[in-house]
Amino acid sequence: MTKFTTAILAGVAMSFALSTAAVADGKVIGVSWSNFQEERWKTDEAAMKAAIEAAGNTYISADAQSSASKQLTDVESLIAQGANALVILSQDASAVGPAVERAVNEGIPVVGYDRLIESEDAFYLTFDNKEVGRMQARAVFEVQPEGNYAFIKGSSADPNADFLFSGQMEVLKEAMDAGKIKNVGEAYTDGWLPANAQKNMEQILTTNNNDVDAVVASNDGTAGGVVAALEAQGLAGSVPVSGQDGDHAALNRVALGTQTVSVWKDARELGKAAGEIASALADGASMDEIDGVVDFTTPGGNTTKSVFLAPVPITRDNLDVVIDAGWVSKDVVCQGVPAGTVDVCG
Amino acid sequence: MTLLRQTLLPALALLATTTAANAQDMAVAIPEFIEETATSGISTVYEGEWEFMVGGGVAVFDCDSDGYADMLLSGGSSPAGFYRNASERGGALRFEKQQSGLELDNVAGTYPLDIDSDGTADLVLLRVGENVVMRGLGECRFERANEAWGFDGGDAWSTALAATFEDGASWPTIAVGNYIDRREEGFPWGSCTDNWLHRSAGSTFAPPVALTPSYCALSMLFTDWNRSGTPSLRVSNDREYYKGGGEQMWRVEAGREPSLYSKEDGWRHLRIWGMGIAGYDLNFDGYQEYFLTSMADNKLQSLAEVPADGVPRPAYADVAYARGVTAHRPYIGDNVKPSTAWHAQFEDINNDGLADLFVAKGNVAEMPDFAIEDPNNLLLQRADGSFEEVGHEAGVGSTAIGRGAAIADFNLDGLLDLVVVNRWRPAQLWRNVSTDAANWIAVRPGQTGINRDAIGGWVEVRRGEQIMRREITVGGGHASGQLGWLHFGLGSSEAAEFRVVWPDGEAGDWQSVPANAFYAMERGKQAREWRPER
Repeated sequence: MTKFTTAILAGVAMSFALSTAAVADGKVIGVSWSNFQEERWKTDEAAMKAAIEAAGNTYISADAQSSASKQLTDVESLIAQGANALVILSQDASAVGPAVERAVNEGIPVVGYDRLIESEDAFYLTFDNKEVGRMQARAVFEVQPEGNYAFIKGSSADPNADFLFSGQMEVLKEAMDAGKIKNVGEAYTDGWLPANAQKNMEQILTTNNNDVDAVVASNDGTAGGVVAALEAQGLAGSVPVSGQDGDHAALNRVALGTQTVSVWKDARELGKAAGEIASALADGASMDEIDGVVDFTTPGGNTTKSVFLAPVPITRDNLDVVIDAGWVSKDVVCQGVPAGTVDVCG
Repeated sequence: MTLLRQTLLPALALLATTTAANAQDMAVAIPEFIEETATSGISTVYEGEWEFMVGGGVAVFDCDSDGYADMLLSGGSSPAGFYRNASERGGALRFEKQQSGLELDNVAGTYPLDIDSDGTADLVLLRVGENVVMRGLGECRFERANEAWGFDGGDAWSTALAATFEDGASWPTIAVGNYIDRREEGFPWGSCTDNWLHRSAGSTFAPPVALTPSYCALSMLFTDWNRSGTPSLRVSNDREYYKGGGEQMWRVEAGREPSLYSKEDGWRHLRIWGMGIAGYDLNFDGYQEYFLTSMADNKLQSLAEVPADGVPRPAYADVAYARGVTAHRPYIGDNVKPSTAWHAQFEDINNDGLADLFVAKGNVAEMPDFAIEDPNNLLLQRADGSFEEVGHEAGVGSTAIGRGAAIADFNLDGLLDLVVVNRWRPAQLWRNVSTDAANWIAVRPGQTGINRDAIGGWVEVRRGEQIMRREITVGGGHASGQLGWLHFGLGSSEAAEFRVVWPDGEAGDWQSVPANAFYAMERGKQAREWRPER
């Protein structure tokens, strides 16, 4: 029953926001969250709200609680509350269309937040996934500029998996063409599951008699599976492995030396950018006038106005960045790390 | 709970019609179930790895003619398990495992169907590999009949079934839904294999024809959605694996090639992780609503418009949110990730005259973006047509990894019981022990000649101005099928009128009967009360 209570409180909060909105002088920015009870969005929200308020505007929000149907009515409700611009974190990109259409018909600009909305009418703001892939490959390549490479890709059902892979290939292509790097195995990871990544890595190791010099894994979960497979063969720590997300366990692996890099996407940056972009659009700026805007061709063949933020590669040398940002505690990062091996751990 | 009800009021206001003016009480009677898995004798686990991530069906049918429902549980990579019902009327649920001939391995789905119209239920076993039709020999013995009946079982990953008897045919038409190409484990996306239509060729099956395009069907249902007299084939598909697909409905008319309903016909594009279909006329307009299970939001489709001429277009609006049946994430525990829904079935669990909805839930395996602890739903319909979740209070909110299921009155006491198949865990059985349930009747239509169980017919129950209707179908749900008593709650009514509209469209006479009894309804005869011998 705890959850129902929470849901009710959210509803109450929304109606308070409504009365505040009515008296504010600035614009109203409506934010539709897909599932606000997921811990990770709290950080985004704080940054987004701060940016909106810094621009003299008012933040109102709704939580779809993982329901695409509820999100449609949430957006209607945000419009009814006078939203001048919307930020939508979509629960289901293929179901959110009617809400975007509704907003656009009323002249209300929409920013698709973090997850793509397949519509030319919606602005798209996310991290540059191709750049994530490039950073992953670069970090591994620096440590291991030649030899046998394995690629543990993301879920095939997730378009991001292919963006990541194409970024990785961009960086490594020259060395591969020159014959310095050999692709000795690549596999998609069903559901991004660490267990599947481990299974795939075990297969690649078996096929190659353990002769694998580097692994480009597409996120920290899959990197965890890879490191487990390497550990079983006594190879962990000697084979560079990439990752992504700044998972706490992965940052600890970076400190321990079993993972080379975790590309970190700072949610505060994304939230701040969304607040600023939505405020600008609410004030009448056109999508073309947004700083850093590019045209992006979606997997569905639409062209959207987009901003892609640059992530930060976290290696053993800059673990202080995530600790200083309050993303993770030093204790977690440094757990089990021998003294004197990593600066930040002492 | 008070606060919760208040928050739902705006949603209720969206309801287009107040459909249940005759319902006796505004308060919903919450049924009470006790789990009897351990003492029932049921012990089958749906086993297996990747190839058994879907499926896991149960067939419920009476093969020893004692009126009690027996059952076959899919075992996945282990043999299926047959259980003869040894319960006594109103007593604890007891089943005895016995050899039946149905103990095949690699069984994912199970559907009873009297294929040869001899009055004894046969079974279709959907398998990873060759599908098998099993002829019922009586006394719960079965034998393989693929060769005798010309049934080409193929070699696919079969995950859905629907059956109908087409006009003039002496043999049923069976649609089989197939999933991804199991040889493509490394990259299964986009590898959906063809669904098949096995039609009648005299007293045998013709070679199956492919229903292309196919989009990884996980549930199929022959249903007369527009009351034309000819059922169409609804197919619910898993968007995880298809490319460019969506939900489908095939026009299947005797002697003609099947054809898909199109956008021009009014059929709307919809992409879901379709896993189960359940139909019921919830708004008493004569046309069924369809509940479609999926991941996150589930759908409840109602005809967008019923024109005055009674010839609707196949355009459906989603009323799941308005009626409170999105059931999109766990309602107990603190997990806020979305749910994964499989079998769905409408039945009147508390006998108040309003169909309730059961949904079996469970993660595919350990998908991190979806709830791991994912309780089954029991959604009770309120008088205003909205639904209220009582799975936990009623005692059926198990968080085992559910798949197929069946709701049936296993001990013939007028209260519907429940069995749920679980992945990697034993199937669970619950007895309905409610003490405040209302009145009921159960009807078993029968006719001579072909199609003895009147598949494609309707049973109608009249209470005052209101007519409750149930279509007699084989298909839908998730990998699970039933043949047997059709149950109707009557609220406080002490008597009911019912009739059968037979598959050829002929409506039988209204039968006035007292409540709280079983009625055998042979075509052309008067309803006969049936009483169990034990």
